[in-house]
Parts: sequence; C-alpha cells; structure tokens
Amino acid sequence: MTFLHTADWQMGMRAESVGKMAERVREERLAAAQRVVQAARDHNAEMLLLTGDVFEDNAVDRLLVRKVGEVLRRFPGPVYVISGNHDPLSPGSVWEHSVWKEAGNITVFTKNEPLELNTCVLFPCPLREKYSSKDPTAWINAHDATKPAIALAHGNVEGIPSGEPDYPIPRDAATRRGLDYLALGHWHSFARYDDPNGECRMAYSGTHETTKFGERDSGNTILVEISRRGAPPTLTSIRTGGLDWRTIEHSVAQLSSLESLVQQLTEIAQPGSTLIRMHLDGILFPEDRDALKRLDEILTSRFLFGALEATGLTPAPDGEGWIESLPAGTFRDAAQKLRALASQSSGTDQQAVASQALLQLFDLYERSRA
Amino acid sequence: MILHSLRVTHWRSLLNPTEVGPFADGLNVIHAPNGTGKSSLFEAMRRTLFDAHLVTGKEIEAVRPWGRSLAPQVMVEFSQTGVRYRIEKTFLDSANARLLRFEDGQFVPLADGRNADSKLREILAVTDAPGRGLSKQEHWGLAQVLWAPQGALNLSSLSSSVSENLRTALGVQLTGEGGTRLEELLEEQYLSFFTKSGKPRTGKDAAPILAMESQLAEMTQERQRLLAQQQSFEEAARAVEDARQRRAQARREADALSEPLVQTRRLAESFQRLQSDLQQKRQTEQTAKERFESIGRTIELIANARQEVTGFKAQIERNEALLAELAAELKTGGELADERRRKRDEARLRRASLNQLTAEVEDARGFLDDTKARQTLSTKLEKLQQVQTAFTTEKQSRTVLVAPDDKTIRDVRKHLAAREKAETTLQASLIRLTVRPLQATTATRKSPEEIKTISAGEDATFTGSPEVSINIEGFGSIHAAGPEMDVDALRDEVTEADKKLAKLTQPYGTQDPDRLQLLREQATDLDRKIETLKGQIEEVMGDETMEDLQGQVAKLDARILERTGRFPAWKAQPPALSVLQSALEEQRKEIETAVVQAEDAFDQAQAGAQAVEKRHTETEAGLKNARLNLEAANGRLTDLTKDRLADDARLTARQEALMAWEAARNQAKDYEGKLAEIGEDPQKSLEKLERQFQAQEQTEAAARYDENKAEWRLQTLTAEGAYSKLAACEEKLADLTDRIRREKLRMDALRLLHDTVASCKAAAVAAVAAPVERVATRMLARVAGPRLGTIRLTDQFVPAGIQPEALTEAVELDNLSGGEQEQLFLITRLALGQFLAKDERQLVVLDDVLNATDTGRLTRLLTLLEEAADRLQTVILTCHPERYRALEHALFFHLQNLSNDGGANP
Repeated sequence: MTFLHTADWQMGMRAESVGKMAERVREERLAAAQRVVQAARDHNAEMLLLTGDVFEDNAVDRLLVRKVGEVLRRFPGPVYVISGNHDPLSPGSVWEHSVWKEAGNITVFTKNEPLELNTCVLFPCPLREKYSSKDPTAWINAHDATKPAIALAHGNVEGIPSGEPDYPIPRDAATRRGLDYLALGHWHSFARYDDPNGECRMAYSGTHETTKFGERDSGNTILVEISRRGAPPTLTSIRTGGLDWRTIEHSVAQLSSLESLVQQLTEIAQPGSTLIRMHLDGILFPEDRDALKRLDEILTSRFLFGALEATGLTPAPDGEGWIESLPAGTFRDAAQKLRALASQSSGTDQQAVASQALLQLFDLYERSRA
Repeated sequence: MILHSLRVTHWRSLLNPTEVGPFADGLNVIHAPNGTGKSSLFEAMRRTLFDAHLVTGKEIEAVRPWGRSLAPQVMVEFSQTGVRYRIEKTFLDSANARLLRFEDGQFVPLADGRNADSKLREILAVTDAPGRGLSKQEHWGLAQVLWAPQGALNLSSLSSSVSENLRTALGVQLTGEGGTRLEELLEEQYLSFFTKSGKPRTGKDAAPILAMESQLAEMTQERQRLLAQQQSFEEAARAVEDARQRRAQARREADALSEPLVQTRRLAESFQRLQSDLQQKRQTEQTAKERFESIGRTIELIANARQEVTGFKAQIERNEALLAELAAELKTGGELADERRRKRDEARLRRASLNQLTAEVEDARGFLDDTKARQTLSTKLEKLQQVQTAFTTEKQSRTVLVAPDDKTIRDVRKHLAAREKAETTLQASLIRLTVRPLQATTATRKSPEEIKTISAGEDATFTGSPEVSINIEGFGSIHAAGPEMDVDALRDEVTEADKKLAKLTQPYGTQDPDRLQLLREQATDLDRKIETLKGQIEEVMGDETMEDLQGQVAKLDARILERTGRFPAWKAQPPALSVLQSALEEQRKEIETAVVQAEDAFDQAQAGAQAVEKRHTETEAGLKNARLNLEAANGRLTDLTKDRLADDARLTARQEALMAWEAARNQAKDYEGKLAEIGEDPQKSLEKLERQFQAQEQTEAAARYDENKAEWRLQTLTAEGAYSKLAACEEKLADLTDRIRREKLRMDALRLLHDTVASCKAAAVAAVAAPVERVATRMLARVAGPRLGTIRLTDQFVPAGIQPEALTEAVELDNLSGGEQEQLFLITRLALGQFLAKDERQLVVLDDVLNATDTGRLTRLLTLLEEAADRLQTVILTCHPERYRALEHALFFHLQNLSNDGGANP
C-alpha cells in the first residue's frame, strides 16, 4: 500500500520576520497544501495522513479552515487527520467546522480507537490539549494486527531536547506498539528513526512549507510504501515547499568581498519566491560602501523578502582615506573619534550607532563636495 | 588696512568738501562739537568701502544734504597688504566709482564702475557684501571687530567668515576648508530630526520616528486587545470544557442514583399498598366489632327494658297505696298546727306589759343623769364667777397705774445727761467773784442788779459772764472779767433739756429714772397677772359662752321638774335604778320563755304537717313519673324488638358477628407482620433519593445552560478568527518595531555625529578663544582690576560673560555696569584687533565711545590704546577731545578747522 504522510501545515501562522510579506507567506502555505494533494494524486497514494498541527491555532480565521477543507476535499481518496498541540480537540476547535463533515473523504479522529480499513489498520492519537506529559501512543497495541498497522501521532520523540516532557514518544514506539509505521508530526524538519535493523518505521514528515529562516529539511512530504504486514516501509521525500528561505551570514575580512555577495544574489534563480536574511559583520572598508548600498537595494527590490543587517560591520581602523580628506579640524577630529568608538565597542549597540554615524558623515561629506 | 586720508563732499551736514588726513599710523583723534559731522565722516568712509556706488534706497538718499540735489562724493586713501589705494565714489546722481593704486609715486586708475566695487571688496576681503543694497555690519569683514560706530560698541555676533578669519589669524582651523558647508549640511540634517535643544522634532515637521512610535503605541494597544480576545477564546473553550465535565459528572451521579431510586420507589409502593390493605382490614375488624357490640347492646337493652317495665308497674302500685295513707295524715297534722298557733299568739301578747316598766326605768336613768349634770354645771359656774372677779380687780389696778415704756426711760436718761453736761459747762463759764469783808458791808452788782449784805469775815459770791462788777460800800467797786464764753447758748441748752424732760416725765410725776423704771416693772407685773386670769376663764369656758351654760341649766331644770311631776316620790328620794332594772328583767324573762315554748310547739306541729304534705306531693310525682317511665320503657322495648327476632336468634347473630371480628383481626395482624418486615416507611428515603436525583438533574441542567452559554460565546469568538487577526497585528508590529529600530539607529547615529562634532568644535573653540581671552582678561584687569575675573568668549569670539575667580559660574554681561560693559567690549575689540593685525596693521575706528567710563579707567584705557598703536592704527571720533589729550603721540583733527589740507593738529 502507498500513502502520503504530511504534518505541521501550521495554516494561519504568523510570520513576523518577513515584514509586509507575511500575508504572502501565509498564502504560500495554502498553495503548498495544494501541492501536497497534487503529489498524492501524482503518486497514486491510497490515502493521505495528516499528523497534527494542520492549523497554527484553533482561533484562526474560519474562512481559512474552509479553504484547507476544500483543498483536502479535492483528494480523490480518504484523508485521515489527527489534531496536534496547536489545534487540539477542544471546544471551539477548528475541527468543529462543518467543512470536515461536508467533505465525505475526510476523517478527523476524535478518539483513540483503531480503524480497520481494507488494506490496513489505523491507530489515531488525536491530541486534546496543548501540553501533556503522557505518551499519546501508549494506548496502542497492534501486535495482533493482521494488516499493516499504521499510527498517526503528534509529539516529541525522546531524545529531542525540548525541556519538560511534552507528549513524549519513545524512540522505539513503533516496535514497542507493534506498528508497521508511526507517522509523526510536531517537528518541522524531516526526520526518520531507524530501528537497530536499519529499518525506518517512524518518521517526522516535517512541515510541507518552510515556516521560518534557518529551518532545516522542511518543505517536504513523505510518500510511504508498505508491501505487507511486517515489511519495512519505504520512505520517499517529495518537495512541496514553494518558498526558498535563505539566511546568508558573511563576515567581511577582505576588501571588495561584498562584491561576491552581490554576485551571489544576482545569481539566485527564483527571486520572486525567495526570502533572504543577510547578516554582515567584520570590517567595512570605505571602498565597500557602494557595494553595501547595492546589496541593500538588491535585497529589498529583487526578492520576495530581503533584509540586510549590517550593524555588525566595523569601519576599518586604518585606510580610511576619506577621513584624512575631511577638512582639518572639527570634522576630521569627530570622524576619528567615531571610528575609534566603532572599533572599540565591537558587537554592541554603541558600535552599530558609531558605525552608522560614520557612514552618515561620509554621506554628508560626499554631498558637501558635490 | 591703514587709513591715510578721507575727503567727503555733500554728505549730510558736510556740505562743503571736508578732507581729513593724512592720518598717523598710530593714534588719531577727530574732534568737533555735536552735529558737525564726525559720525558722517565715519559713515561716508564705510559706505564708500563696503557699498556699491550704485546703491539705492531711502537710506542712501538720506545722506544727501538736506534740501539740496547734490550727489554725495567720497574719496578714501588707504593701504592694504602694503599697497596704497584710493577709492573715489559718487553716489546717487551720476553715480560712479574709481579705484586707483599708488604706483611709481602717483595714483594710477585700477578699476572703475562696478569693477571698482568688486575689486575693492576683493582687496578688503569682503566677499559677501550685497550688490545694490546697503551693507550691514555683518558685511564689513574684519571691520565688524575693529570699527565701532556710535552707540554700537558692543559685540553681539560676528559673521562666520570673520570668525573663520579670526581662527585663521589665531592659527587654528575649526572646520577647515569646505567645513562650513559640511557643518551646514550636518546642521540641516540634524534639525530635520531634532530641535536645537536635542529633542525629536514635533509638529508639522516632526521626526518620522514620532509618527512611527505613535503608530507603535496604537498597534501595541491593538495587539493587547487582540491578545485579550485570543485569551477570551481560550477561556471560552475552557469554560465549555468545564461545563461539559460538570454536566457529565452530574449525569453520572444522577445515573448512579437511578437504580436505588427505582428500588426504593417499588418498596415505597409496596409499603403504601400494605398500609392501605391493613387499614381496610382494620375497618372490617371495626365494623365486625361494632356489629357484635351492637347486637350485644340490643340484647342487654331489651332485658333492661323488660326489667324496667316490671319495676315501674310495682312502683305505681306502691305509690297509689301510700297516697291514701298520706292524705289521712295530712288532715290530722293540720288540725294540730292550728291549735298550737293559737297558743303561740297568746304568749306573744304578754310582751306588751313589759313596755311601761321599761319606760319607767328609762325615766329613772334620765332623771339621775340630769341631776348629776345639773350639779356639775353649778360647780363650773361658781368657779367662773371667782376668776372673773379677780380679773376685774387686776384690770382696774392696771388701768390706774401710769408707767413709762422702755424707750421713754432711755430718752429721759439721755436728756438728763445732756442737761447735766450743759449745766457743768455753764458753771465753768461763769466768773465767780467771792468777797469776804473785814467789816460788814453791802455789795451791789449792777447788772443784773443784785444787792448782797455781807457780814464781816463772811463770803459773798457773785457770778456772771463775761464780767462781774460790784460796788462794795465803803470799799469801792470790783470788776472781774474772764474769757468770753457763749453762756446764753449753754443756758438755752439747759432750758431745752429741761423742757424735753418735763414733756417726757409729766404723766409720771417724777424725772428720776430709777423711779420711772420701778413704775415700769409694776405695770409689767399687772399685765402678766391679767393674762393668767384671762387664760383661766378661757379654760373653764372652753368653746361655750356664758349664755350656753345658762341655757343648759334651764333645760336640765325643766326635765327634772317634768319627771318629778310624774314621779313625785323622786323629789324626796331619787329612784333606785338597779332595783327597777332587776324587776324589769325578771318579768321579761318569764314572758319570753313562754313565747319560745309556744313557738316551738307550733313549729313542730307545722313541720310535721309540711313533711306529710311533702311526702304526699313526692309520692304523687313518683307515681306520675313511674307511669311515664313505664310508658317510655314499653316504647323502647317496642323499638328494640321491632326486628321481631326471638332472643335466641339474637344470640346466634351476636355469635356470628364475634366470629367475623376475630377473622378480620387476624388478617390485620398478617398485614402488620408484612409491614414490620419492611421496617420504617421507605417514603423518607425515597424523598431523600428523589431530592438527590433532582439536585443532580438540576446541576446537569445548570451545566448544560453554562455549556450552551459558553458555546455561544465560543462560537462568537471563533467567528472572529482572533488568532489570525493577532498574527497579522503582530507581524505589522514586528515590521514597525524593526523600522523603528532602524530609524532609531539612524537618529542615534545622527545625534552621535552631531554631538561628537559639537564636542570637537567646542574643544577647538576653547583652544582658539583661549589666547584672546587671556589677552583681553589681562587688559581688563589692568583697567578695572582683578575683580571681574576672566572674560569668556563664544565660539564666535563675542563676549559671553565674565568668570570672577570667587565664583564657580560665569556672570552674564547684563550684570555689569554700563561703564564696565563698554570697557569690556572695547578691550575685546582691541584684543581681537591685535591678533588680526599680527601680519598687518589694522585700522580701529571708535566713534564716540567710552562716554560712561570714569577718568581713572579712561586713563588706563588710553595707555592700552597707546600700547596697541604698535599694531593698530586708531581713529577716535569724539566731542570731548580733552579726554584724549593724554595720548602723547596722537594726531588731533578739529573738524571745524579742517580744510583741504586735512588740518592736522598734533
């Protein structure tokens, strides 16, 4: 049998780090959901499993709930959904929306009861609270199953550093419960947990669309194939994310090294769906000021979202020829003081302010000479 | 610049050409009275050097001599950087300008017209002067410092170029070449965000960050609202959950009560049914019992009735016989009672014989009482007669006795003393003349005439006052005189006293107070006796009068007489009352005994008759009752036997009723046993369970209501999509916060740049101004002493204040006196001038200054001016030349004496 495992759609999530592009990022998550459904169709998946956190919160806009329901409705096969810690089965939850009943192919599990299908048995573990120290899979006993036993759960696999136990799931939960596959949700990056035989019977699919900068192996869904009860599943990751979230961190140590960054930006193929956060530190050479400006311009104009954080740059301690060219007296003295301040307080707010002040003086100087 | 000469024509009051010069390189004093054109000279020089010759306007028109159409003309000869120039300008009509340079011993034209203006400004380094307009003080270049027009000695500001020149002259560069523009740009940039005091700009041109911060505050508030809405959503969800839990728990508890409730209901129903059956059996038992008892009572009543009938018949027969006997007895007893009544009445009639004897006894007692009272009354009247006689006697004695009262006696004693005192004084006042002749003779006093015959050896005394004159026969006269006294007045006093005594004592016949006192005591004694007798009379009389007593005597006598009339023997011998009374009692006793016996006999006979009559009546009534009772008993018997049953049949029926009763009682006992098996009435337990069940259902209903309410609220909040709104708000907030951070960084950087530049500039200014401050301070100390301390200059080199050594803070110039202020400004100008003249001598012009400076300080200032003459050419315009005569090397120019040759008067 073949099915698609996806999770953590986090529909309606806030995207504070992308400024005015937040709404676009949210829309892209819905588009990615459509791509998941399309991928399931393309790969002839018998069913679609959503293992929690389909929504970011139970108080999301109800129109969004309907939109998600409509997307899933388009899948020709059955869709099985469990609630996660972000959208637990509580009064007023998104799962009370009429769209789930209207769509005949969608089953939202509300109990820990196995569901026997023609080709397999499903063991759903829907969550009812945001936090709990109980293992949501603890109730499962699939050792006597004759068909492939597949569980849907949402929680933290033991070993993931997450502070206090929160829906803990043993690393050998699949084996311990007699499952052929344990479809997990909660963590946004794809992760598989192989047993000692090297067989993977439990995995996080990760979110179908990257949620933030620095998120590893996200924007995928998993195609799972199980030939028979007890046979090792085959997991195939399918790309469903449409946005490219990039974090570029660069430390400037050499003159004109910013030019290479400019070049790097111009070579990105899909700027309209790329979000870039660039952090610069190191030394700001006078000759690089123009490149710095261009970097800023390219980031803000070419890409879906771009942000440059250059406050970590410290003006070069020497070689500031323009300072020597300043009129002797007050301004030259002030420039030298600011340069010293920026160099001495590296990495602090004071350094950022002093560097910025020096840049402003440079601009004014250029204007006075124009 | 050095001024050589000056010629002015048609300029205000200087109608004719007036030329001053050549000036000395050092000190020059131009003096003239007020209104003769000193300041006009200075003005003409300034206009010529700094204004374009084509200058127009009211101010240049004003320099034209009053009422004349003459064009002002000025010629100035000067040297600058070692080159000598001459500038000639005509203003207004036919305006022209010509600049000449001294070359090879003569002035050669260098430029004319506008070129002359431009070239001149270039030479004087005055580049920012206006084209056609009048130049202001800020356009004068270095002259702003060195030239002080009349009334404008103070320095409030200098143009930036002059300040820069000063700094250059001082060897310090503040902003350097091009720095001014940079400074302006920085200032412009800074002021677009901040006020001069460093606060973010507000109002129309407010700094963008303020709007952003305002927006941030609004959005933060909005976020709080949305956050609260989100929390409300979660709380509502929790409330629904809680209500559901409560409802489920209530349902569980209600379900738990259901089974016991059903069982208890059944038990209660059984209990009630058994109770009902028991009650029914009890009623059956009661009915049977009543039937049994009723039949028993009927049998008993029938027996009783039959017995009564028999009894009543016997009673009737007895009563009828008794009635006959009683009728005979009644007749006999009546006759006996009549006989005894007659005897009784006869006995009673004997009582009338006792009345006469009783009256005699009463009369005897009255007679004896009246006789005794008559004797008592006679005794009383005799005693009264005796006391009244004594009273009359004493009363008469008192009437005869006249005695004074105590006051009269005291007055007599007082007047006697007064008379004795007057007589003693009178005797003492008289002249006493005693004559004892050896032979008998006659002595005659003239006034009052008194003739005394005196025997030999006998004393004859004459008294008188105030003198006594006697003639002694055979001897002559003797006249004796004494002190004059008022003998007449004394005699009058004696006489007056005598009169009063006579008046007081006339009724008593004596003036001896002791006798008068005795009379008084006798009178008092009589009064006391009279009072005693009066008391005795009143005691005897009591409340009665004499007439009363006499009336009583008359009444007693009348009754005694009447009784002795009826009983004449009592006159001789009063009756023996006890004998009479004993006879009366004896007779009365005899009669009463007979009466009592007769009455008793009668009563006895009558009682016997009445008793028989009563028995007869009673017997008649008993007979009647027996007949009635018989009738009633026959009636009851008829009623009781109307069932027409035989007595045996009734006994059988009673036996059957008894058996039914027993059966019902046994059945009731069975039910009681069953109820005892159940125990207490389960109704109470049932009611308790019902209440508990009802309470759980109410709890469930309340929870359901809460659940519905919370669900409704939850639905409302769900429809809001609170999280989505919150997310959008927080995204905007984050974006705005980032923009504010960047803007703040930009502003902080600008502020840091501005403050750093300002701090560097302040340090440079402090360094630049310091030498000038030192020179100026030293000069001020030489003129005014050390009290004023150090002069503080601004970065524009104008005085800001002074810093006395004793104070920690600078003192503003307004706190100095007018004289000290002008001294300070002049000294500052001289100090700055010395630095400006470091490379070339410079012209200092002082128009009518130091008017408020006292002579002592003026002298010291003149010394400074002389010392400054090494570097500065000084031209002083004044109407008080004598104040400057101390300047030894100065050239003096008297304006009125000036001629084309300059008129120097060293």
